[in-house]
Amino acid sequence: MVTSLSLVGIQKQLGKLQILRGIDLEVESGEFIVLVGPSGCGKSTLLRTVAGLEIPDAGRIHIGGRDVTHLPPRERHIGMVFQSYALYPHLTVRENLAFALMLRKADPAAIEARVREVASMLGLEALLDRYPRELSGGQRQRVAMGRAIAKRPSLFLFDEPLSNLDAALRAEVRVEIKRLHTRLEATMLYVTHDQVEAMTLADRLVVLRAGKIEQVGRPLEVYAHPSNRFVASFLGSPSMNFLKVKRQGERLVAPGLSIEMPEGIETPKEFLLGVRPHDVERVDKNAHLRMEIDVIEAMGFESYAYGEVGEDPSRVAGPFVARLGCEDAQRLRRGDRIGLFAKRIHLFDLGDERSLGCIEFHPRSIQPVAYSRPLASLSEAGAMEKPL
Amino acid sequence: MPKLRTAITSIFTHFLIWLFLIFALYPILWVIALAFSKGVVPESRVLPVPSHFSLEHFQAVILRTDAQGRWLFARQLWNSTLTATATAFVSVLIAIPAAYAFSRFDFVGKATTLRGLLATQMFPGVAASVPLYLVLDTLNLLDTLSGLVLVYATSTLPFALFQLRSTFDTIPRDLDEAAMVDGASRVEAFLRVVLPVARPGIAITALFAFMSAWNEFILAATFLSREEHYTLPILLQSYATEHDANLGHFAAGAILVSLPVMILFYLLQRELVAGLTAGGVKG
Amino acid sequence: MLISTLLQRRFLSLVLHMAPFLFVASGRIQAQEGALTIFLWHAYGEGEARGLEAAVKAFQARAQEEGRPIRVEITPVPFGAYASKLQAAIPTGKGPDLFIDAHDRLAFYVESELIRPFGAWPPELDGEFDPLHLNALRWKGVLWGLPLSIKCLVLYLNRKLAPPVPLETLEDFEALATRLPKGIWPLAWEISSTYGSAALFHAYGARHIDEAGHFTLLGPAAEAALFRMQALLAKGVVPPEGSGELVRNLFASGRAVAAVSGPWLAPDLGPELEWEVRPLPRLREPPKGQSGAMTPFATVEAVFFPSRIPQGKEDKAREQAARALAIFLAASEGARIRALRGGHIVASERAWKGLEGLERERAFREAARQAIPMPTHPLMSRVFGPVDRAIRKVLRGELEPGPALIEASHRFADETRPPPPPRDPRFAIVLLTSLLLVLLFFATRRLLDPQFRVTLLRSLPAYAWVAHALIAIFLLVVLPLGVGALTSFFAGQGRNLHYVGLANYIDILTARGQGLFSRGSFYLVLGVTILWTILNVTLHVVIGVSLALLLSRSRLFLRPIYRVLLILPWAIPNYVTALTWKGMFHRQYGAVNAILSAIGFEPVSWFARFSTAFTANLITNVWLGFPFMMVVTLGALTSIPKDLYEAAEVDGATPWDCFWRITVPMLRPALLPAITMGAVWTFNMFNVVFLVSAGEPDGSTEILVSEAYRWAFTRGNQIGYAAAYSVLIFVVLFLSTRGLPIFGMQQKNLGEKKGVAHA
Repeated sequence: MVTSLSLVGIQKQLGKLQILRGIDLEVESGEFIVLVGPSGCGKSTLLRTVAGLEIPDAGRIHIGGRDVTHLPPRERHIGMVFQSYALYPHLTVRENLAFALMLRKADPAAIEARVREVASMLGLEALLDRYPRELSGGQRQRVAMGRAIAKRPSLFLFDEPLSNLDAALRAEVRVEIKRLHTRLEATMLYVTHDQVEAMTLADRLVVLRAGKIEQVGRPLEVYAHPSNRFVASFLGSPSMNFLKVKRQGERLVAPGLSIEMPEGIETPKEFLLGVRPHDVERVDKNAHLRMEIDVIEAMGFESYAYGEVGEDPSRVAGPFVARLGCEDAQRLRRGDRIGLFAKRIHLFDLGDERSLGCIEFHPRSIQPVAYSRPLASLSEAGAMEKPL
Repeated sequence: MPKLRTAITSIFTHFLIWLFLIFALYPILWVIALAFSKGVVPESRVLPVPSHFSLEHFQAVILRTDAQGRWLFARQLWNSTLTATATAFVSVLIAIPAAYAFSRFDFVGKATTLRGLLATQMFPGVAASVPLYLVLDTLNLLDTLSGLVLVYATSTLPFALFQLRSTFDTIPRDLDEAAMVDGASRVEAFLRVVLPVARPGIAITALFAFMSAWNEFILAATFLSREEHYTLPILLQSYATEHDANLGHFAAGAILVSLPVMILFYLLQRELVAGLTAGGVKG
Repeated sequence: MLISTLLQRRFLSLVLHMAPFLFVASGRIQAQEGALTIFLWHAYGEGEARGLEAAVKAFQARAQEEGRPIRVEITPVPFGAYASKLQAAIPTGKGPDLFIDAHDRLAFYVESELIRPFGAWPPELDGEFDPLHLNALRWKGVLWGLPLSIKCLVLYLNRKLAPPVPLETLEDFEALATRLPKGIWPLAWEISSTYGSAALFHAYGARHIDEAGHFTLLGPAAEAALFRMQALLAKGVVPPEGSGELVRNLFASGRAVAAVSGPWLAPDLGPELEWEVRPLPRLREPPKGQSGAMTPFATVEAVFFPSRIPQGKEDKAREQAARALAIFLAASEGARIRALRGGHIVASERAWKGLEGLERERAFREAARQAIPMPTHPLMSRVFGPVDRAIRKVLRGELEPGPALIEASHRFADETRPPPPPRDPRFAIVLLTSLLLVLLFFATRRLLDPQFRVTLLRSLPAYAWVAHALIAIFLLVVLPLGVGALTSFFAGQGRNLHYVGLANYIDILTARGQGLFSRGSFYLVLGVTILWTILNVTLHVVIGVSLALLLSRSRLFLRPIYRVLLILPWAIPNYVTALTWKGMFHRQYGAVNAILSAIGFEPVSWFARFSTAFTANLITNVWLGFPFMMVVTLGALTSIPKDLYEAAEVDGATPWDCFWRITVPMLRPALLPAITMGAVWTFNMFNVVFLVSAGEPDGSTEILVSEAYRWAFTRGNQIGYAAAYSVLIFVVLFLSTRGLPIFGMQQKNLGEKKGVAHA
């Protein structure tokens, strides 16, 4: 049976600190949900609450329609992969994989069959008689996953499972987890602070901050339509640039910036403008922004320019970052001034930092091509796009 | 040049270690020399070699009998072994769950209790043995090895608790939690995962408890009233009284008493090194 | 704590009053197989025990014949635990039916109500004993026991070494000193102890104590005796630092013409030695009014009967059986067996008829008849400490005899000063009750706080895990310690304890009215203790860490063997260690001095000066303690990642930098708790100080714990005073370790840091 998970009004306090401040979340069967957020946002605590390792102060948890709020972990039928892997150091790989089944007093033959199956699924056959201390980091990680898989839970919990691996291995295992998800058709709840994992793995992303859900949605949609400045800056690397702009009639102005607004959009007099580094293009004329380059980083297939737009007061934090072509890295140098065209800009309220919508521009035209209003519902799929 | 330097460093290292080795072994060699000498007269000399090699002291100590002609040494060796082993077992058994709770749970009064446990280690026992006698009397455990075991086990408990708690602290909580997610109850997780992993630390704690019970004699002599219940250190003590001292017998007895602990140290040295600091459980 | 729980004394009545719940009807010692079983305790050595056992066997056989079988269970109790065992056992009814002890403890037993009178004199014993010896067993006009044997010092003469001149006077021995080859002493004699020197004091007409318990070892007679001792030492008649052991060694190895010792020396003399027993030498020119005879103290070993709360009919039978056994042992028949089988110098006069063959024993007996029984007065036992110290000071040349004796009398007065007057305990009771009420009030208020109740409720499962351990610790550790601590508010002995409030504490903290830093004052001893602790712990850490660093070199040849051998000192019981080192520091026979003279140094009198005696203690304790620090460091070293050193080396750090900037900071979290624990242990390291230097010289090397033990037993069992000492030790330790990391309390942080290092 495939389980769905439902969290209603989960609150949790640890010591004097309010870690979770009312979490509501509905997970459909077979969904891959990634909980993402900066450290201390409560994502791990939320995961542990679902696992039953923490008891919420308020709220209810249902797994597969069953209220498990006060059930101990062992009665929740879940599989969990820990950040530290938590392999039992005194047991061999085989015994680690079989541990849960042995606790259930399953038939030895059945256990052996299951262990073999899981081992072959993860390529662990040759390692079955080794102890965890004799394994490499990647192998340990696989065993940890295998241990969760072996008990065939309907709900998988992953607590930053890749954070102890090197970059290459991380990419490899990421793909493997995705494959496993497809194969096992299980519901998965995955905690990470790595946005690449979040973007690539998730069916739906849950962005958490300070114990509250900021936004839930499909990865691309959250990326394209962040519901507030926090989500916008958290997703995407390098992070979104923010500038404080004023509205003068139909124009947005700030030092070094001038953008023609489409008609009929209501905004406050002053607000925050967000531009992703990937959404700009270098132009010689019709530039929205002018930037003085400080540092330029060549990545091979592209390059990033760091510098100043206009004068300091308009910039909100850090240097302005723009993605340029790879050949630009060779041509440009420190002190050069370039013009940038923003293909897509995000508008945020200065006060509560909520999204006011985003505007797309066509590269060759001064006129904007599309305006999307802020999302009505957090979990609503698909933004309303209104052609101009 | 570098090779020469390494050689010099190495020689210097060995030299220093030998210096301390002599310091550490010299008194022990004296005890051995005394035990294997004939008669009671120690000679004034530098090298600890027995004068007139003889096994008479060992013979006297081992073959000693009581008024009824019963063989005392075997009896007392058995008593000592039983008492010390039982002490180690009981002490560790009582300490393990409590130490686990001190490591894993937060509860009202935890810090105070820990402070209090430590405080018991600071209080000299000048005035404690008569009250202890009364407690044992109340429990009807005077003159029994079980009473002695109870006293030893509890007096080693505070240290065992600290020792085991630090052992458990070095075992990641993730392990218990993984087991609980895998379907174990708290107790099962503790028994099937934490305990096996904590084995080195437990072995060391047991060794300490064993040692203090094995070497103690004042309480043993106070609480036991029959010679056939006596433990070995009491026997050893009877060779070191003021007027009736027999240093040869004492030395032979000391060697016999120390030998089992030395063997245990040898067997457990790895755990000793790891167990005292880190609990000896690194992934 | 275990090892340090040594003897302590009677405050049973206190316990009776304060903890009545402790007293559940105590089980009686069960009789076995129909025969009446009675229990006999003694503290004899092996040889003497044989004689006793044989006599008891004869008694059992006779009882069997007479148709009233009696089984006697004999328990040899180690001397060190004898007194405390009797004091604990008798009041609870678990004591023996009769026990054997020396008469000088009689008054103390009577004052503590531990023994009952002997009762009606059986006519068959008329003329059995010397009235002098019977008198020694009388206190307050009542006879308390029967004399078994007599012990006193005699002169042992080595026939082969003795020159063909008369050796009857001290002057003869003085003359001998100049004629003997080097290494042979005329007279092996422990003159530095009160017991050993008593005969000389007596010869000059000096007495230690009078009937009323006043210190009388003052004035020209006593001073003259001390001057004579100085002379004996200076002329090389007696060896310096004579101890019982030295006397035995010198005489047994044929390096002394004569020895002053008791009957206990005889069994250790080999068959190749030709010796005889004589009375002690006389003074050729006796002081005015004295005979010149050197009469030692005699100790009467007697059998006593513990006082007992009457409990029934069987008791009468047991009492009668015990009495019968005592009479049998003391009277001629039993005495003869004891003399023949165990070499006892029996007190029974009649027994000696028929023992004509025992030539040496007869000589002992003759000497004993001349000896002066040690005064029975309870304060006699308190003379020993001060007089020992005075004699040693004089012999070391630190003080003239006059001032030394005056100092001894002051010390005696100080140690025997009357206990503080009883105080009204009502004030304390009111204070305690109100304190309890205040605590109760706060506890209730906390319980009323709903949030606290929630936390408490959540704590409940944890309590299930710890309860059994805490209950056990409370019952068998905290409660006894607590009751012990409570005695610090009491003074007196045995069942005559009385509440004195804070008087004991005030006494200690005001140094009993003497200078705050006078010898033996709390503050001076505290200073020594702190010095002791700091030096020890520093050396433990320096040696332990150095050795661990040396041993951690990965390609060290023989490393595993080194490691095991260096841990060995830890595996040996510390009293063995202490006694071994004490032997090695012996002036004549110690290996340390042998080494010193082998490399061309003068031998050192280790226990004659504070600095050397303290050093001797220190060396012993360092030997005992460095393996622990070494092992802790070895463990901690393995957790320092290698790359830290590599990184530092790349950064251009010297090995020295590496040590101070990496090793030390990384070792700190593991070492600090071990250091704290080690400091607590060292602070209370009783065995080393007590057994190695025993406070010598002049009590200067005592630490707080050993001082507390002295008050608890060598200075008249002032248990309340000793308890106050231990409470103060506790307070000092508790306050000074507050805020310091403790074993098991800081490890969590350590673990977390490690986690970070691995990630």
